[in-house]
Amino acid sequence: MASPFLTPGSHSQLNQLALLHLRRDQAIPTVLQLHDEDNAGYKEGKVTTTRFGSFPHTTLTGQPWGSQIIASKVDTGSRRGRGPQKKNRQLKRKADVLTTNDSAEGANDSPSGSPQAAVAAASGFLHLVYPTPELWTMSLPHRTQVVYTPDYSYILHRLRARPGSSIIEAGAGSGSFTHAAVRAVFNGYPTTTTTDDTTPPPSSSSSSSSTSLPNKKRLGQVSSFEFHEQRVGKVRQELKEHGLDGLVHVTHRDVYQDGFLVGDAETGTSPKANAVFLDLPAPWLALKHLVRHPASGAESPLDPTSPVYLCTFSPCLEQVQRTVSVLRQLSWLDISMVEVNNHRIDVKREKVGLEYEKVRGAVVFPKSVDEAVTKMRHVEEHSRKYRELQQQQEEEDDLLNSTTTANTPLPASSGPAVPAKEEQAAAPSSSSSNIPLYKQGRLVHRTEDNLKTHTSYLVFAVLPREWTEEDEQRCRDKWPPHRVDQPMQTDKPKGRKQLKREQLQREEAEEQQQQQQKQQQEEVVAGGEKPADASEEA
Amino acid sequence: MHSYVRPNQFVAFKLPSDQTRIQKIVPNTQVFLGKYGTFPANQIIGRPFYLTFDIHETPGEPDSTHLRIVSAAELHAEHLIAEGEGDGDDQEPSDEASTMRTNRDTIDDRSTQKLTIEEIEALKKESTGAGKEIIAKLLESHSAIDQKTAFSLAKYKLRKERKYMKRFTIIPLDVSYLTNYMLQDKEAARTLEMRDEALGLLGCWGNVHHGGSTSFDMETVLSNPNGRYLVVDDTGGLVVAAMAERMGILYPHDGDFDNEQQDAHQKVPATAGAQAEHEEEAQPTEGGAPSRRNRRPQMSAQGNTITLLHANKQPNISLLKYFGYEADDPSDSHPLYTNFKSVSFMQLLDPNADSIYAQEPTEIPAEELSTFKSSKRSAYHRKRGRWMRVRRTVDEARAGGFDGLVIATLMDPSSVLKYTIPLLAGSAPVAIYSPNIEPLTEVMDLYSTARKTAFINRRRELVEQKAASDDSVDVKSELEEEFPLDPTLLLAPTLETSRVRVWQVLPGRSHPLMSSRGGADGFIFHGIKVVPTQEHIEAAGNPSRKKRKIARSDETPADSGEGVDVEMTV
Repeated sequence: MASPFLTPGSHSQLNQLALLHLRRDQAIPTVLQLHDEDNAGYKEGKVTTTRFGSFPHTTLTGQPWGSQIIASKVDTGSRRGRGPQKKNRQLKRKADVLTTNDSAEGANDSPSGSPQAAVAAASGFLHLVYPTPELWTMSLPHRTQVVYTPDYSYILHRLRARPGSSIIEAGAGSGSFTHAAVRAVFNGYPTTTTTDDTTPPPSSSSSSSSTSLPNKKRLGQVSSFEFHEQRVGKVRQELKEHGLDGLVHVTHRDVYQDGFLVGDAETGTSPKANAVFLDLPAPWLALKHLVRHPASGAESPLDPTSPVYLCTFSPCLEQVQRTVSVLRQLSWLDISMVEVNNHRIDVKREKVGLEYEKVRGAVVFPKSVDEAVTKMRHVEEHSRKYRELQQQQEEEDDLLNSTTTANTPLPASSGPAVPAKEEQAAAPSSSSSNIPLYKQGRLVHRTEDNLKTHTSYLVFAVLPREWTEEDEQRCRDKWPPHRVDQPMQTDKPKGRKQLKREQLQREEAEEQQQQQQKQQQEEVVAGGEKPADASEEA
Repeated sequence: MHSYVRPNQFVAFKLPSDQTRIQKIVPNTQVFLGKYGTFPANQIIGRPFYLTFDIHETPGEPDSTHLRIVSAAELHAEHLIAEGEGDGDDQEPSDEASTMRTNRDTIDDRSTQKLTIEEIEALKKESTGAGKEIIAKLLESHSAIDQKTAFSLAKYKLRKERKYMKRFTIIPLDVSYLTNYMLQDKEAARTLEMRDEALGLLGCWGNVHHGGSTSFDMETVLSNPNGRYLVVDDTGGLVVAAMAERMGILYPHDGDFDNEQQDAHQKVPATAGAQAEHEEEAQPTEGGAPSRRNRRPQMSAQGNTITLLHANKQPNISLLKYFGYEADDPSDSHPLYTNFKSVSFMQLLDPNADSIYAQEPTEIPAEELSTFKSSKRSAYHRKRGRWMRVRRTVDEARAGGFDGLVIATLMDPSSVLKYTIPLLAGSAPVAIYSPNIEPLTEVMDLYSTARKTAFINRRRELVEQKAASDDSVDVKSELEEEFPLDPTLLLAPTLETSRVRVWQVLPGRSHPLMSSRGGADGFIFHGIKVVPTQEHIEAAGNPSRKKRKIARSDETPADSGEGVDVEMTV
């Protein structure tokens, strides 16, 4: 079976994993099926319910990847005897069913019947995307600490995990690294799974070509080890659902004790690994198995023809020191330790200014000194007017007091409020009314709020391939050690034009030479004649 | 895989000074490593990578040069001994303080070294043992060596080794190593200061991987081939190389895992693997194709391909030469010969402005062709082949349906996105690298939720306007005027940066390196191309109930992804 991770095709297909993308960092993985195995009781067959509405799988299957899918009206209330919560809606729903799908209703009574057609809801949608290791890492069910994209992208790059590589992973955990590793080493599905494919086997000519291919080309594979039995089962099931079971071999094993052979711990086959990733609490205990000649006499799990790249993933410095010490003892080279600091960056428009009254997320504060001064002037002006008004009033009051005893403070307090409102109304219209909201403010960026400052220390090392005295002798025989043809190639390789020019020059030179020779010959002939003449003369 | 040094391959030499030198290993020539020595190339051809060699020679005898493999135990000797001592210290920690040497009495000038420069030069001339005697002499004639602490002694020795050891390590030249080399030893600006970690992230977020074997299910594959990637690369070919490495089409020897070295010096036959399935692909009909035409035409692969969009007439992919692909004269046995395609932006946007694309060389019937002189005939074939190649690649690129887009460019990224996003298949990822953050924050802003909402509302307005009035309102151009990019086409736009910090790990002396290269941090933008529905649709998500909580907890990141509390209509 083709995996949607590696070869998704153009449309979503039944029985394949699809991701329902709700928002950034939130996607729901689901295997598309018409009928629900759990029999949740939906009339539409299998339905995934999200916070943005319900999505019967009939509306998700056969869609182009990346499509925006509209939620459907699904009766979530009345199934399994749960009390209907919204009676009106349910009644309406039933009425819909009665009018539109009379015959379908009848067929739906039998469990094998086709699911009922879905009716689009008034609101709600999601995006249907194919799974990638990145999206899967984001949405997978956590069983253990997960190796996230910034780490595994760098690890796989430095491990030189490339199409055709064989990689050992110990501590399968939640399987996020497994998925990324499969993508990195994938260069074709093993031919044994071809028979499982729904398409008829290829014709004899192409099958012969496909069988001759594996002889030449090595298929990339991941050998995954995990000592937690339940996790092994989960990982296996996931990989099967994702169509990756032919590319990953999951083994239930304590690798400290029993090493890295696939199958039986002592007589199993070697994965012939080019790259090793150890996400274990004590990687140094596993290293004794990752040598060219294990002390137990068993086969080495490493590829004898290539260098082996290793990475261990440990959160603590003490673990790193023990690992590095053992690596040195076991002749690993190019040992280095790094940590990856990754952070995501928020980009937004920062709106600071007095004109942003009642704008969400904006700060009402002077955006510049000029604005501050202008505003202060306004305020001063107001208070001056207020004081004048008050003075006036006081004078009036005095006048009034002298005449009547009535006290009227109300007009004084409402006095300054009127011009203030006028100013508020005037400010935005002057500066920002013609700029749309999304373009207002200053574009700023900063690190996102939740920051991962430490994931783990990564130790990298390389084990060169073995090199014996016989190998060296064979090479010496083939490549004579002291043979140097040209004294030294100092100048750069010549360009095409220069080569042409040189050839032309050479030809010219040859021509000249020939001409010279001719002339000489002629001269010689002439000269020869002369003495002949001379002799004759003589 | 890189298992041993092949003749005529580029390899990297790591020198004692931690510098890297890249050289092509041509049989029967000398390899020249500056002051670290010279030796015949034949002495490393066929040998495995990652081995360290000492250069030994007897002065005056030209043929005496020979290489000695330095074993891992020897390389680690000091650390292993130090670790042994460290264990001893652990047992009696009380003694440590009294016996610990400090730098209290050290003399901070050069008078302690009794060896003069002339003496050192003389030693260098007569030295045979790869510089070891010089270092031993230097240590011997240092008057205050016993006053040094263990750490400073180690540092002193290391410094001298870097200067005098005639030693090197052979390292396979792959994308990771080349990236570091360009960053540290060469002009980093040529590769936009691309770092290794950024390259790894770029490949992952671009979902760049091998397109898969197509040996079964041929028909669906041909109608919809897998693994077609679009790339805009102004790093001199480094990004193309990184992608090709991830797709298994960078190394001409990938796939032959021959243990035997017998055929190492023979010319390797056309690369197996990814290309094999394309071989039976129909040859373009070229009138009276002579026998040499049975090779695969350039840029002809269907799946697992890279299409490079470039700004100038020719793409700058000079760094690919390190992987055996010469841009001027590509060897047809290299996997990139068929699987790497280049199209200029002008060809993409206005193909008829391109003289090669627009002017088909007139076809000449076979009988007339046979009367031509051979040079004229081959010129005709070349012209015709070139025209067909350009036609095919440009039409293919314009048809779109790419599985991923990776960008590392000097141009404004939004101008690139405007023309490339529509060429992507649904759910295809977009990943952009930039050494500076500003170009990418602008892109983020172009996909902001506020802009998306405004775009959708404006479009609805225009559509209604069009329906109401009979005069033709051009919705598309009206929208483009206000919105250079359609913000609804990209899902979950995200901006991030990664930085690797290197540590020194030694017993009792572990700490991050004191200094490293500054310069550009390198930023990655990524998102997913989606196909918005044309129907009228509103967002759900109980805005009334959730609004306050969402607005506070994950305001901007979540909002930029999906409209939750935003009225969203299509």
